[in-house]
Amino acid sequence: MTTPASTTAARRRRFGLDTPYAFVFPALLLFGMFTLYPILRSLYLSFFDYNFLRPDQMRWAGLGNYSEMLHDERVKGWPGLVLPKGDLAWWQYPLYPVLALWLTINTPGGAFWNTVRFTLMYVPLAVVIPLFVAMLVDRAGRLATLFRTLNFVPVVVSVAVVSIIWMWIYHPEYGVVNTLLRQYAGMREGYTWLSDPRLAMPAVVAMCVWHGLGFNMLLFLVGLQRIPPELTEAARVDGATGWQALTRVTIPLLRPTIFLVGLLVMIGALKVFGQMFIMTQGGPADSTLSMVLYLYNIAFRYGKFRFGYACALAWALALFIFIVSVISFRLSRERS
Amino acid sequence: MEITVDRVKRYAGGSLLYLVLAAFSVISVLPFLWVILSSLKPHEELYSKQLTFWPHHWTWDNYTQMFARMVGFGLYYRNSLLVSLGTVVLTLFVGSLAAYALSRFRFKGDRALLLLFLGTMMVPGEVGLIGQYELLSAYHLLNTLTGLTLSYSAFSLALTIFIMHSVFVGLPQELLDAARVDGCSWWESFWQIMVPMGASGLAAAGTLVFLNSWNEFIFALTMNNWSDEARTLPVGIQLLQGQWQHWDYGVLFSSVMLSFLPVIIVFLLLQKYFMRGLTAGAVKG
Repeated sequence: MTTPASTTAARRRRFGLDTPYAFVFPALLLFGMFTLYPILRSLYLSFFDYNFLRPDQMRWAGLGNYSEMLHDERVKGWPGLVLPKGDLAWWQYPLYPVLALWLTINTPGGAFWNTVRFTLMYVPLAVVIPLFVAMLVDRAGRLATLFRTLNFVPVVVSVAVVSIIWMWIYHPEYGVVNTLLRQYAGMREGYTWLSDPRLAMPAVVAMCVWHGLGFNMLLFLVGLQRIPPELTEAARVDGATGWQALTRVTIPLLRPTIFLVGLLVMIGALKVFGQMFIMTQGGPADSTLSMVLYLYNIAFRYGKFRFGYACALAWALALFIFIVSVISFRLSRERS
Repeated sequence: MEITVDRVKRYAGGSLLYLVLAAFSVISVLPFLWVILSSLKPHEELYSKQLTFWPHHWTWDNYTQMFARMVGFGLYYRNSLLVSLGTVVLTLFVGSLAAYALSRFRFKGDRALLLLFLGTMMVPGEVGLIGQYELLSAYHLLNTLTGLTLSYSAFSLALTIFIMHSVFVGLPQELLDAARVDGCSWWESFWQIMVPMGASGLAAAGTLVFLNSWNEFIFALTMNNWSDEARTLPVGIQLLQGQWQHWDYGVLFSSVMLSFLPVIIVFLLLQKYFMRGLTAGAVKG
């Protein structure tokens, strides 16, 4: 700075620039223009029949876009309850409900159902596996930092890069998975992971679990470190087995963290886009078409630039996320 | 030393723990190692029915091919770097200044403002995608680095304010009072006291914002996808993938390698800040 500090100060005071209002102003401007306005503008547009290329034909549609969504087979399609068909082996009978549940979740439908089933597959795995790893890392002593760091590496790499790597891993001819299956499981061909409607979604989910492991593990580690070690030690002294100390002391104390991680993971899952866009383009046969991917396609891919309908889809999804979050909050509060 | 059942059990349990952890770590890191090694394999080895991990023949072919034929790659790299750095500088400046005002002053509407900033953290950014596309288009900012930088800065703002607010609230008021007595303006105390004292918070927020901008996909895809001029790395590399996947994965791997290696190295060097920033920003997800 060339001017002495005191003159700058005097000038600022004279123009009323040395006030909190002036300090907040740039943030408010940036935020108002590029965050708040676009969000509200999207809400406004969602009530219009609006083609971006023909702004002159923009016309009020009321709730038209929202009612279209409720009739759009590519959004609302749901296969219903899918039950196991054909003869079951004897050991499959006790597992019947589990089997039916899995078959239902793994049957493709419209964008909304696909988003929900992605979430249903992803969230349990993305909570339980990182929790397990975090508990191990927490006990690893001097090597804890090493293991934490190694497991965290995928988190810093972008969805785009990770998706490309996994497309090669899933490659039907030269991919690692199929090569291993051929070499060690005696399969002749292996599976077409990303072009089979029953396999594409689980394949994408597996990649996401791998990608998100480190981040969720870190959150659990922070939670675990907040639990005073004396509590579990006391339980052990009182004769509790390691398992009892875990289920009666550690897990209940960790419940807020588990809830937080579950909520974050769920919100993220409902917004899933990049993985599907890059790996499957929503296919095969719409089996991995997510809500955000569909609204992106409606707005930019199908050549019609139907911004009104796309905005309605976006707001409906946001509303759904909001409702699910509020319900989860309520449930967690009642529990504790 | 006496060998007791208990001790044997503890020892076995300990080894099992390390074994399982090592397995998870290998699974996390292996794909990246494998891409690095594969980018150094000749074409025939990559496209063979036999799985090889360690290259039988080492070659730089994929890299020379990539630099010769993937013309856009260097440009995407530069764009990503400029947008991410620009976003970090702009967000940290604007955000910490606002956090300073909101944490250290009482003024009309301060509570409401804080609530507004933090409240939008709950709204999924995708909701504003189309509104923002229209806005940038109206100001001729589509397909420009400026447009994307402004967009990213605005979205990172709430998070930065959130982190810096909690840092600034924790600083002792006496420091500010003393500076005031010495004739410092509020603006000067911000630079001379708040910024140095909150440096580690700024570093944490900065690394987080950088990482988010470097890896962001959907906005970059929507706003900056008309030409190579303004394409960022995630979108560019997805484009290259579309062009090269049926052609030569080796060349593709060399570009993938170059796009993740620097980030991983930076992460390993700045680990402390990454972890702190990410846990602080967890609420944003």
